[in-house]
Amino acid sequence: MTHRWGMAVDLDRCTGCEACVTACRTENNIRIAGPEQSARGRAIAWIRVERYYEGDFPDVRVKFRPVMCQQCDAAPCEPVCPTYASHHTDEGLNAQVYNRCIGTRYCANACPYNVRFFNFGNPVWDRPLELSLNPDVSVREVGVVEKCTFCVQRINAGKEQAKAENRELKDGEIKPACVQSCPTSALVFGDLNDPESEVSRLSRSSRGTKLLEDLGTLPKVTYLQRQS
Amino acid sequence: MDRRQFIKISAFTGSSATLASCGNPEYHLIRFVPEDRIVPGTAVWRPSICPLCPAGCGVIARVMDGEVEVLRNGQLGLTRMGLAKKLEGNPDHPINQGKLCTRGQAAAEITYHPDRVGHPLKRAGTRGDGKFEEISWEQALGELVAKLDALAAANDQNKLAILLRPERGLRGELIRQFATRFGAPVPLTYEFFDDDVLRRANALSFGNHQLPTFDLAESRYLLSFGADFLGTWNSPVAQNIGYGEMRQGRPGSRGKFVQVEYRMSQTGANADEWVPVKPGMEGVLALGIAQVIMKSGSRRAGDAGPAGMLIDGWAGGLAEYTAQEVSKRTGVPAARLERLAKEFSEQKPAVAMIAGAAVAQTNGLFNALAVNALNALMGSVGTPGGVFFMQGGAQEDIAGGPRSANATARSLNDRQPLQEELRDAQVLLIDGANPVYAAPRAWKVRETLTQLPYIVSFGNFIDETSALVDLILPDHSFLESWVQSMPESGAKTAIVSMAAPVMQPLHETRATGDVILDVARRLRKPLELPWKTFEEMVKAGPSPAAAKRVPDRAKPQEKAARRPLPGGEARKFAEPQFNGDANEYGFHFLPYPSQALLDGSLAHLPLLQELPDPMSSAVWSSWAEINMQTAERLGIRQGDWLEITSSQGTIRVPAFPSPGIAPDVVAMPTGQGHENFTRYATGRGANPISILAPVVESETGALAWAATRVKITRVADADGTLVLFAGSLRDYPPEHPHR
Repeated sequence: MTHRWGMAVDLDRCTGCEACVTACRTENNIRIAGPEQSARGRAIAWIRVERYYEGDFPDVRVKFRPVMCQQCDAAPCEPVCPTYASHHTDEGLNAQVYNRCIGTRYCANACPYNVRFFNFGNPVWDRPLELSLNPDVSVREVGVVEKCTFCVQRINAGKEQAKAENRELKDGEIKPACVQSCPTSALVFGDLNDPESEVSRLSRSSRGTKLLEDLGTLPKVTYLQRQS
Repeated sequence: MDRRQFIKISAFTGSSATLASCGNPEYHLIRFVPEDRIVPGTAVWRPSICPLCPAGCGVIARVMDGEVEVLRNGQLGLTRMGLAKKLEGNPDHPINQGKLCTRGQAAAEITYHPDRVGHPLKRAGTRGDGKFEEISWEQALGELVAKLDALAAANDQNKLAILLRPERGLRGELIRQFATRFGAPVPLTYEFFDDDVLRRANALSFGNHQLPTFDLAESRYLLSFGADFLGTWNSPVAQNIGYGEMRQGRPGSRGKFVQVEYRMSQTGANADEWVPVKPGMEGVLALGIAQVIMKSGSRRAGDAGPAGMLIDGWAGGLAEYTAQEVSKRTGVPAARLERLAKEFSEQKPAVAMIAGAAVAQTNGLFNALAVNALNALMGSVGTPGGVFFMQGGAQEDIAGGPRSANATARSLNDRQPLQEELRDAQVLLIDGANPVYAAPRAWKVRETLTQLPYIVSFGNFIDETSALVDLILPDHSFLESWVQSMPESGAKTAIVSMAAPVMQPLHETRATGDVILDVARRLRKPLELPWKTFEEMVKAGPSPAAAKRVPDRAKPQEKAARRPLPGGEARKFAEPQFNGDANEYGFHFLPYPSQALLDGSLAHLPLLQELPDPMSSAVWSSWAEINMQTAERLGIRQGDWLEITSSQGTIRVPAFPSPGIAPDVVAMPTGQGHENFTRYATGRGANPISILAPVVESETGALAWAATRVKITRVADADGTLVLFAGSLRDYPPEHPHR
């Protein structure tokens, strides 16, 4: 059975602590943009925590929402790519092939979730910071678009490990970096084709919604609404 | 092409490549034989302990091989070694259970930081001009030993002073034993966000001089007075884990969470109800809630035991604290107070917590005692869903041996300011503390240090404090050393964590524990410390006295009843005092710990500089939060430059109008405004600590860091200095004003 990877985000558990943000950066070799490039809107974060203020003092509310690539089944980023750099895999991931990307940025424009980032320059790590780079993930150079991959390197490693041990993958065995670090277990990752998986169970929750659902993008990330 | 020809060609191209490389000096590097047994391309996981805060989370590091330029015995060369690539929470660690906070995830950058001090340094210029020269370890240790021998020869052993960051492990214990055996005073500790007031309150109320542990997973109602327990306070990862379970871990039973504070923190943003309160009135609110509960008859004054007796009027049901009276003083409507009290007494188990600005007032101890009494009244101490004190975590428990009462480090926050403590010191050793940055300027730390004859630092970065020293003996990073930690909170049972080095050292650094032991041996009159290396000390475990101690299973109330309580008489409420006249200085000033940079000790890590702040999304910046309506009234817009002036001085910082802050408050994250702290933090933003008035908590003498008043002036338009991550997503960059 092919897998169909998805994620559930329980906003009632999420505290906006941003453990996921740094976990993702260190796992996926995301560049440090620095203050000048950040000021020009060129900082990169495959996952970010959005905050929404509601009301005025003293009746103020803030809601946090971690946003990463929604891995849409009808992804607006895919058909616009002239080089098939942005494409759909058999397992439902919106993959980005950096070698094919020629930097038209059509995909980033088409994405309604603002989760695709363009590299305006080559990344620089002041020596010896580069020694901490993850050898399993390629470093993106100037002129290509990058995005959340659901930590595809961890998915592949997990599948290989299961195959080597001649067994099926267990639910929860594969964890993207953000899911692994999340202190409140607000993020859950797994196979949507397995109806018994934790992520499938949560995705069926009555609290479940999709981000900008009416656009018809069919995201594979389900947000479980906060209960207050 | 046949096989033979192929081999010929590849042999030829291979040798020409080798010859060509001879011209490049990089390839002249000697290749050292790897000391590390690591299989190329294969990852192994090695355990360690996160050093960034006292929570003591267990981490595992993913180690893979890499090629590194290293110095070995003065010779530069290349070697293959195992390198920590990624830190994760250790799934087997009882505190963080496989999870790790955003700061811990970035901790590996300490090891690979480009501005790490890689060799012993000796001051070359005049003190404070920041000029250092590299020297050998032999020379460095020789100089320190000569200074200490001179003290001993003049019978001036008590003129050796030691300043540490509060640290609850064998490293601190070793330094304490070194000091004691040398004849020096007990080491001082300093940390800006110190929890000493709270520890003192817990000692008075419950007989436990330590930080509390909360069983949030079982709680059904949580009332927090200013505690940033999901962000930066106490044991954040353990508390986040419990919080997630409290919300969604029990089907059909979702715990409610109410936060009382006057500037919305990341923690407060998660509350079901956010209750703004006047600064310093948190204790009054807690007593108002207790009064309503006692009046309703559901609990009686005696239920609180000794913790209640510390509050004046408790036995009489707190007649002065009627809902109307409390409402007038706190600004919380009486009806809301009564409803909160009803919910708090009906939703069991319910627990209250207090920390942060609520205890950093001149009446901070009273506020903490009031919340402790409320917990005791509800029977929430030592019961499931309530507050616990970790076994073996009390301050007096960690030292062990006959000297334990005196052997604990004195906290500087607890005493007179630094200059009085250090005035007569001849030699000062500093480990991990940076008081020149993280203490109010009014304490004159820089001036005091500048006048001391000889200062030694063990830091691996040059910061404001170590820029003033005579000698730097750089420590290994935590990934390169034996590490040991005994946290004081975060789990119900006692925990001792220890771990071996994860990787070989990158630089010519030495573990501070080993350096201390080495110095102790080299003295003319060697000190009798029973270990040769810090590794031996870690492997021997905590001191025998501490290890043999029978776990105390008595309930905290019983313990409190039988332990003598120094100063256990009832306290009357005292109005909080603020530095600065309210007419001239119209705003309360609140410095709060940055989610990314804490008190500034993490400002040198680029990953954390670029971490968007949870409430403002700011990166690489300082900002001052001000109420939106107030800002509108004063014509202040986002990013406009403000001058914030206290009785102690002025700082300039961009404004961030926010709805989540009281109209008479200006709040600023700590962490930026470093004068000298690596390429990533130097000269960036402003330091709110610098303008704090030296106001202290009235009973404990701890710095009341939330008791300064300020005035603000708008001095210039926004110029793009304040960088917001979210702002950059929807706004156009400043170079396109026409759009």
